[in-house]
Amino acid sequence: MAHAFRRRPDGSLVCRLDGEEKAIISQVAQETADLIRADLGIDAEGDVLRRAAQSDDPLRRLEAEFAGREAREPSDSAVRRLFPAASEDPLLAAEYRRLGQQDLADGKLSDLRRVMRTLDSTGQGHSEVVLDEEGAMSMLRALNDVRIVLADRLGLERDGDFDTLRMLQQIGERVEDAGPSGDEEHVGSDVVIAVYELLSWLQESLLRALD
Amino acid sequence: MPVELPRAEPGTGSRTDLSPDVEVTAETEGPWCTVVWNDPVNLMSYVVFVFRRYFGYSRLVAEQLMLQVHEEGRAIVSRGSRERAETDVQAMHSFGLQATLERAGED
Repeated sequence: MAHAFRRRPDGSLVCRLDGEEKAIISQVAQETADLIRADLGIDAEGDVLRRAAQSDDPLRRLEAEFAGREAREPSDSAVRRLFPAASEDPLLAAEYRRLGQQDLADGKLSDLRRVMRTLDSTGQGHSEVVLDEEGAMSMLRALNDVRIVLADRLGLERDGDFDTLRMLQQIGERVEDAGPSGDEEHVGSDVVIAVYELLSWLQESLLRALD
Repeated sequence: MPVELPRAEPGTGSRTDLSPDVEVTAETEGPWCTVVWNDPVNLMSYVVFVFRRYFGYSRLVAEQLMLQVHEEGRAIVSRGSRERAETDVQAMHSFGLQATLERAGED
């Protein structure tokens, strides 16, 4: 059972999570990072290009510069929410993507990695999770990015959609109690709803502790 | 495009805002502006936190801007040079907020 974040006298932020909660958060963070990398085409090649961009060889720098121009437009609907168009003007948006998307992706991936590392370092059982100020900022951004992906998968588009979904789920549970039904897809979305609620609660609790 | 985070040190936003007539936008001059759009995911408390932490706005200003985003669907959160707006949009995206830059007076 999770305990909310609080600030300790030394300024660090601490919460308690059980092993299952840590494993779930780590897993959705990993899946979000994998999704970003797959959709934007970021892989080992990205590192090679970055090194080439800092190379002493002008030809290699030129090559990297041209390769870097191909900032891929996100095709997955959740990744589009994480990397939205920066302008309603398509030319300006494309130029902006070319200049900034890689840095933005680096930041998001680094936040997700940091959260996974922090959670993994606490072992498998119920434990405290301690964050410094930078760790707290990474946690806030990463939780938010994962929630954006889950919200996309749940089809949340307007304010109040989650409440509606939650209400429908509860009605569904009551109907299911009346008679047996083993709908796989339904079970899947119940899990996503539960994870979304856990992450929202954790993010809110961290915001209160930081306030 | 490096993201400058945070622009203000934590705790610079005052807890008790004495002036009720405070300007909603800190930078009111400049040909470009940063617009934040409503979305169903970001917690209101998170949006207020981001506006306070990144722009250094007081709690009152940050809350007014958040409510404007929530109720009107969008709010101009900063104005300035194009570079300023680009940096601010990138920062908003890094926090997962939906943001665009536009020329002032477009809407």
